[in-house]
Amino acid sequence: MKKMNMILAAVLMLGVLFYLGPPLALGAEGKVLRIALDAADISDLHPHYSHTTQDRGVVHLIFNGLVRYRTGDISKFEPDLAESWEVSEDGLTWTFHLRRGVMVHPWKANPGYELTSEDVVYSFQSAADPARSGCAGEYAGMAFEAPDKYTVRVTLQKPLSETLFLPKVTDYMGGLVIPKKPREELGEAFRTHPVGTGPFIFKKYLPKEKVVTVRNEKFYRGVPKLAGVEVFFMADMSSRKFGLQSKELDVIEGPPSQPWVEEMQALPGVAVDVFGPGEAGVLYFNVTKKPFDDTRVRRAIGYALSRDEVATAIGKAIADPICSEIPPPQPGFLTRAEVELRGRQEGKDYLYDFDRKKARKLLADAGFPEGFTTEFYMTERGEYAVPMQNVVAQLRECGINAKLIVVDHPTYHHNIRADMNTIVLYNCWRASADMKLTHMYLSDSIVVTGKKPISNFTHLGKVDADGDGKVDSIDYLIKAAREMLDAQGQRALWQEAQFKLLDWCVSYPLFIKRFTFARQKYVDWGYDLKSTLILSPQINELTTITK
Amino acid sequence: MIAYTIRRVLIAIPTLLIVLTITFVLVRVAPGDPAEVRLGDYATKESVEALRKEMGLDKSMWVQYLETLRGLLRGDFGRSMLNGRPISAEIKRSLPYTLELTLMGILFGAVFGIPTGVYTALKRNTLSDYIGRTLSLGGLSFPTFYLGILLMLTFSIKIAIFPVVGGGDIHNLADNLYHLALPGLTLGLIMTAYVTRMARSSVLNTLNEDYVRTARAKGLTERKVIYKHLLRNSLLAITALIGVYAIVLIGGSVMVEIVFSRPGLGKMMIGALKQRDYTTLQAVMVIFASLVVLINLITDLTYGLIDPRVRYK
Repeated sequence: MKKMNMILAAVLMLGVLFYLGPPLALGAEGKVLRIALDAADISDLHPHYSHTTQDRGVVHLIFNGLVRYRTGDISKFEPDLAESWEVSEDGLTWTFHLRRGVMVHPWKANPGYELTSEDVVYSFQSAADPARSGCAGEYAGMAFEAPDKYTVRVTLQKPLSETLFLPKVTDYMGGLVIPKKPREELGEAFRTHPVGTGPFIFKKYLPKEKVVTVRNEKFYRGVPKLAGVEVFFMADMSSRKFGLQSKELDVIEGPPSQPWVEEMQALPGVAVDVFGPGEAGVLYFNVTKKPFDDTRVRRAIGYALSRDEVATAIGKAIADPICSEIPPPQPGFLTRAEVELRGRQEGKDYLYDFDRKKARKLLADAGFPEGFTTEFYMTERGEYAVPMQNVVAQLRECGINAKLIVVDHPTYHHNIRADMNTIVLYNCWRASADMKLTHMYLSDSIVVTGKKPISNFTHLGKVDADGDGKVDSIDYLIKAAREMLDAQGQRALWQEAQFKLLDWCVSYPLFIKRFTFARQKYVDWGYDLKSTLILSPQINELTTITK
Repeated sequence: MIAYTIRRVLIAIPTLLIVLTITFVLVRVAPGDPAEVRLGDYATKESVEALRKEMGLDKSMWVQYLETLRGLLRGDFGRSMLNGRPISAEIKRSLPYTLELTLMGILFGAVFGIPTGVYTALKRNTLSDYIGRTLSLGGLSFPTFYLGILLMLTFSIKIAIFPVVGGGDIHNLADNLYHLALPGLTLGLIMTAYVTRMARSSVLNTLNEDYVRTARAKGLTERKVIYKHLLRNSLLAITALIGVYAIVLIGGSVMVEIVFSRPGLGKMMIGALKQRDYTTLQAVMVIFASLVVLINLITDLTYGLIDPRVRYK
């Protein structure tokens, strides 16, 4: 009898598990979109601190900027919270006219209110304050005022072109408007309870699991088609894939890997999005360290490497070789034809196309006929490790023995900023050519010793890059381009700066790598996804589930 | 027994203090800065310095250490350096997911491992014994994450009965058990392998004892010999080893939580480690260490229940 009871209890327990299970999973097949990102958790949902893909993926659902990048195509600007804007003739004053009837989301017991210029000014002042923002440097020297309820005026110390100014007020980091009242009322809690004006309203945050949002019925562009969006944090790639296969998830973030793209494309009912803008992978040589102080050694490395091979190692569907620091389609990028033509005109070779004979000859000329050994830190993350392993293998063919000291990602970032590497591989995308060149080459940005150290790993601006005994710099070109209001002239200066870099070979542009996401085919973004600044697909009022 | 328990708890305090101190020093010695990680590439030096000050990282290590200790004495783990949330609240939410997973693993291991171990010992050098030993060796050799992925592939994709994503609603028993089934099975199978091997070994040792031979000689049925004499005496060693392996299981739960996206302490620890969230990492390590101490204590106290000869002094 006892035995029978035990068997009965076991059968009942299993029954509960099996019977109650499937309906709970099926419940997720409604109109709530479930997207899983490659992360253990959020970092910060305050938009002015949100610099990780997982944070931006959430923040972008909730906040807006005065201007926005066209959804799915960042090459164009569109009005958003501002209906229109104009700039004064001297280029110093930008005036934005706000859209009326934009409602701030309700929070706690507060029903929400209409967004006004007071909120916008508060938000920009906060973005410009180093104690309240992670991007304060972008707003240094700017003054913000509200002449009336629906007008915002921004005054600059020096004029800026549209190409350089508008990104500061778009829907990206400091440009995302945080409403004053909820920010002040919620205080620290705002970082995990964001309140904005976007298509989706923050509902709850379950640490290490997900953020839940619901649609904003009062959204000024119309009621979103989705009932809500749930953003999951799943650091394990296999789990995300299984979640997609079991239809518990609608969209998943992928690694930059060709086999993964092909595997996903082979799954029934699954589509893969590969989109930009992409991160440019560039090798930066530390010119203060031997033997990289010798231009011939740096050029030898350029000739020793096949960019095509590195791009193929990452994946043909994902990466393309590049030959300029500024990647396409950003204003200021150089095409291969332009680089080739300029080289021919000047009797130089700016392409450094793969040629091992030339590489060996340059090494011999520099006093390294048998090559040399160098050692540097490398992160364990695949998007760095895969191309770097290929680079190391190619260098070895020319006698250069590059030893990698593999560390975790935060340690890598710490060490390269502590000037501990001879060669740095850095994958990044920056909002403008000015920002990229400033961060990577301005003398003030030199790591450790610069006035405002950022990521000038080459030490350009304090070193002799061409071997003529004088210090070389592109500071004057960066600064001249920054002050240039004519777009064409500005582009020409950025291109000129890059020809200098190619001539000195202080860095070696390798590849542009796009982002990969897989989705159920029933997910319709509602727009053509070419590029997005948040580095994950934008989910907006047009996005829908079509089944 | 009460005095013994109190004494053991008091002895645990220096252990926890050592764990805290080692973790405190190690995370700060490791390269990487929570302020840099939190602010990212766009941050100015002033922003990083301002945040370091806000996080209290501008103070000397000693001051930080004393402040951490003072907080712990008040039962306050402080706030996450990453998102400013109180760590106690995060632990309160995460701990049940880790505890239920570990308990499920132990339970599964005990329920299936002990009978299998006893059976294979009694059938020593027969086909059943060989099969049992091979399977348990296989279980010991399987990496936790790989077993988890295999189970997921089988029971979530091929036969779609269990979920892949999340830990379920902790306040909804059915949903919770539904999400616990596969991760629990993953740890449970590993634990079963451990328990089977040690139960077999323990029973084999006991089989050669004089009192077993005497019991058989005086004409007791084999059933009585096994249940009254053999099993009871073998259980002491089995219990001790279950305690040891439960501690191993807590380590294994970290990988299982990552693979099954369960919002437990393991996932919390990995996230904190990657983002150099010093305060959270310290707190999680102290909790893990406390769990180890607690399991040891429970194991010791269980001896008395199984073996009346054990006295607590």
